[in-house]
Amino acid sequence: MIDDTIMDTAPTHAMSRQYFENQNERRKLNIDYEEACIEVKNLRLYYGASDPTLKKVSMKIPARRVTAFIGPSGCGKSTLLRCFNRMNDLVDNVRIEGEVLLDGKNIYDRSVDVAELRRRVGMVFQKPNPFPKTIYENVAYGLRLQGIKDRSTLDNAVEKSLKGAALWDEVKDRLHANAFGLSGGQQQRLVIARAIAIEPEVILLDEPASALDPISTAKIEELIYALKERYTIVIVTHNMQQAARVSDYTAYMYLGELIEFEDTLSLFTNPSQKATEDYITGRYG
Amino acid sequence: MKKWMSSGTPWIWLNAGAVSLSLVMVVGLLMLITVRGLGHFWPSQVVEAWYQPPGSERVRLLGEVVNSETVTPAVLADAGMSVPEGASLVTRLLFKHGNRDLTGRDFHWYVEPFMSARANPADVIVIERMEWGNFYGYLRALHAGSNVVADNADSARGLLKDWVQRAQDLRQRIRTIERRDIGRVNDRMEALRLEQRRHELAGTLSASALQSLAQRQAALDQEYEQYEQQRQALRDELRQDVLVAETMDGRLIKIPLANIVNTYMPNAMGLFAKLMLYGHNLVEFVTGSPREANTEGGVFPAIFGTVMMVLLMSIIVTPMGVLAAIYLREYAKQGLFVRMIRISVNNLAGVPSIVFGVFGLGFFVYWMGGSIDRLFFPESLPSPTFGTPGLLWASLTLALLTLPVVIVATEEGLTRIPRAVREGSLALGATKAETLWRVVVPMAAPAMMTGLILAVARAAGEVAPLMLVGVVKLAPNLPLDAEFPFLHLDRKFMHLGFHIFDVGFQSPNVEAARPLVYATALMLVVLIVILNLTAIAIRNHLREKYKSGSD
Amino acid sequence: MDIDNQRLGRHISQRFNNELEDLRNRVLAMGGLVEQQVADAVVAFASADAALAEQVIVKDMKVNSMEVAIDEECTQVIARRQPTASDLRLIVAVIKTITDLERMGDQAERIARMALHIVDQDRVRRVGHYDEVRTMGNYVTAMVHDTLDAFARLDVEAALKVPRDDLTADRQYDNIMRQQITFIMEDPRSITRSLDVMWAARALERIGDHSRNICEYVIYLVKGKNVRHTSIEEMEQTLLGKR
Repeated sequence: MIDDTIMDTAPTHAMSRQYFENQNERRKLNIDYEEACIEVKNLRLYYGASDPTLKKVSMKIPARRVTAFIGPSGCGKSTLLRCFNRMNDLVDNVRIEGEVLLDGKNIYDRSVDVAELRRRVGMVFQKPNPFPKTIYENVAYGLRLQGIKDRSTLDNAVEKSLKGAALWDEVKDRLHANAFGLSGGQQQRLVIARAIAIEPEVILLDEPASALDPISTAKIEELIYALKERYTIVIVTHNMQQAARVSDYTAYMYLGELIEFEDTLSLFTNPSQKATEDYITGRYG
Repeated sequence: MKKWMSSGTPWIWLNAGAVSLSLVMVVGLLMLITVRGLGHFWPSQVVEAWYQPPGSERVRLLGEVVNSETVTPAVLADAGMSVPEGASLVTRLLFKHGNRDLTGRDFHWYVEPFMSARANPADVIVIERMEWGNFYGYLRALHAGSNVVADNADSARGLLKDWVQRAQDLRQRIRTIERRDIGRVNDRMEALRLEQRRHELAGTLSASALQSLAQRQAALDQEYEQYEQQRQALRDELRQDVLVAETMDGRLIKIPLANIVNTYMPNAMGLFAKLMLYGHNLVEFVTGSPREANTEGGVFPAIFGTVMMVLLMSIIVTPMGVLAAIYLREYAKQGLFVRMIRISVNNLAGVPSIVFGVFGLGFFVYWMGGSIDRLFFPESLPSPTFGTPGLLWASLTLALLTLPVVIVATEEGLTRIPRAVREGSLALGATKAETLWRVVVPMAAPAMMTGLILAVARAAGEVAPLMLVGVVKLAPNLPLDAEFPFLHLDRKFMHLGFHIFDVGFQSPNVEAARPLVYATALMLVVLIVILNLTAIAIRNHLREKYKSGSD
Repeated sequence: MDIDNQRLGRHISQRFNNELEDLRNRVLAMGGLVEQQVADAVVAFASADAALAEQVIVKDMKVNSMEVAIDEECTQVIARRQPTASDLRLIVAVIKTITDLERMGDQAERIARMALHIVDQDRVRRVGHYDEVRTMGNYVTAMVHDTLDAFARLDVEAALKVPRDDLTADRQYDNIMRQQITFIMEDPRSITRSLDVMWAARALERIGDHSRNICEYVIYLVKGKNVRHTSIEEMEQTLLGKR
């Protein structure tokens, strides 16, 4: 706010404008100034012989920021997300062209160990999917896979991860109870704890709160906000308000194409593309 | 009416009717088996009566009435029996008067109108014997060798219990010598013979070896002789005691106590005593060995054989089926070929079991067993070791028979594991194999158990293929004993299902065998239920452990 | 992304369309009321028409209540629809627009009260006595009309014209002030009348400023650009130069 005295003492428009731009600049994120964590270059993805599901997508996912993918169902946002840890490899007849660079190295290179890649790029799914084990074992699962058996190492890692996922206080007294005894929101945070236990660089979230109630959703969102200090987070969501709330950057995808990729504030107040505008305001094209 | 039809009510009634009908049939079957089977062990009253058909002498009858029916005189005439005059319907009674050694047949029909003075005299004694079935009569005296120890019924009755007990002890000692001591000597002699044969086959039979073998043989012979003498002495002692009893036609019969299993006087017994005896009989049936061509005694070897075989089969079929299912579902590339395999596996479940029996005999017994014998047991040829029907082959055959069930159930379980859980594991950097063994298989364990339950239910009730690959009507030894290697996979064994078939249809004494068929059938049903309940309990435990929150 | 009238009504939710349409209509209705108020106030002042002045004052109550009603409706739309992009800008623009309209109404009321004051004190001397005010009043009334037109048609060009007009209005105000000061210096007896004129001119000048504000909101609504507190040249540069 500028009060009248400033207006009076600074009558020239030029001065006041500068003042505003400085204010805006401080708030505004700019993708061009960000350090890239994942870089997608001309990515095309085909299921079988049909038309490509992803049509030449190129983008830069900034490091230690929250990037949200929005778009209507079947637009390829989940598919794109799953390209980042090669989850699409599990589907038969998938063909991928182009490159996905993680820290400058193409993850689709033949020399890349997929298991190792997935350790660096963790993923959380739509429905909470804890394993039928105890809470402790769920979190320790990834570490045990790496061959860590030392009890105290595991104990520390489990505690740290559960604290990181803001779940420790709720479960510290029943670490050895079955994970299915937790509520949906707790399960989802457990799954996040499980993912951060192996210290990934990137966390992919595929509609992480779509099956949860608003309170649990708020907790997850709060968690995402806390996690972005250390991790690069990519989130797919159907809930635009959620994208607007949690993300720094938002990408709008439609029919396998990246329509618009901008900082979230701009995209939700003044999108540059008509298709984006129609989607986020709920219009037909 | 039309409205009633469209309301869906008739459908509900139809469905409920079908359910009730099925329930009534199942419950009816179980009730029949239970009543007939368990009733057999109840000590029923012994009837004494005088019988005089027209134109023949008056005779005394003694025995249990086991059946009665009302027939027309024509039927009686056809059966060659005298017909009372002027009666349009006649009741006839089936008497079990035992004493097969004296009369030749222990069951006989009598026409009721010709009977008189029916009574249940308290001094009638029923003697269960090792041979010739039950004896019905009156206790008269006890002899020890040539001495008359008790010369009247009362004093004899007082001593009888101790004498029967002593006879049982003696028989037990004889059996111990036969089974354990002489059995061991026999085994060592057989081992010696095989050693000699091995040397012969290898051509290393030197004079000194021969001599050593002969020495050891002589030592064993001596040992055998010693045991034989012990046994003979006990037998002589046992044979001394004799019980004298009067039959229904007034003859005095001597029955050696060596031959007596148990005696009781049903007409003099109270309800409590009868209950005790009933329990005793039941326990005998479950834990005892069969006698008299399986028409008497217990079914323990059959129970044991059935359980052993089912357990072995489970141990074989579970890993095979589970591994096959995992490969088919998780690793094999889903296509036409895998689909054909799956269809074949499903169809395999529909192949008649006797076909598996024939296959088991040809492939397992003759080819595999024969090969094993030639490779590992050449010295005992031509008598086969594994090249003959036995427990292992029976279990393998049944494992093959039940394999489809396990495969199908396991596959079903694997498909039902949510994709999200697998992906969750993979996303943490697990390989496919790690995901399978750490997450998927434990979660599919209940489904595997379901498959195993079905397999057990089917295997325990299967008879036809077993007759070809290992079941016999009377096996000398249990497949599990204290002799090395403890579990004798090559031995033949007894099976409850086959026991029913054998007792019911191969027995010379149909009337005596009939209640045993029911009792054995009940045993089989109970056994299957117990096996299944155990498996279900394990499955439910697993389910509890791996239950998933969402569904 | 620019927005125009046609695209405004293409939500998949027809009820949302209706709500937004209703909102806009009510803003325009309120605007029409305010425009009428301004025009009437000017006439009442210039011709010392007490009845008309009374009407203007009464109408302001209605304007005030409309502001509250529209404000509430905006709150409801935000709560219910969580509008984004152009819809969000529309709601924001409406909320701000009605504030400015209400202030315009207040200024018109002030002029009307002045007219009443003049009549009360029986200072009416001759017809055409307050012609300066009538001229400026007509000019400002036209500006208000143009502003509402720009809002109704979401017309950026029209909206850009109003700030220029506002400069003219400001100049007119300056002229009136200078003129009246001259009158006062020449003849101290005219102080009372000059003050009346100055107050009225001052109110009209404020109405012009409010119109300019509303036009800036229209530009924000259509273009998504904040052009407040910038010069007209810069405004044109950002809007037209980029195109």
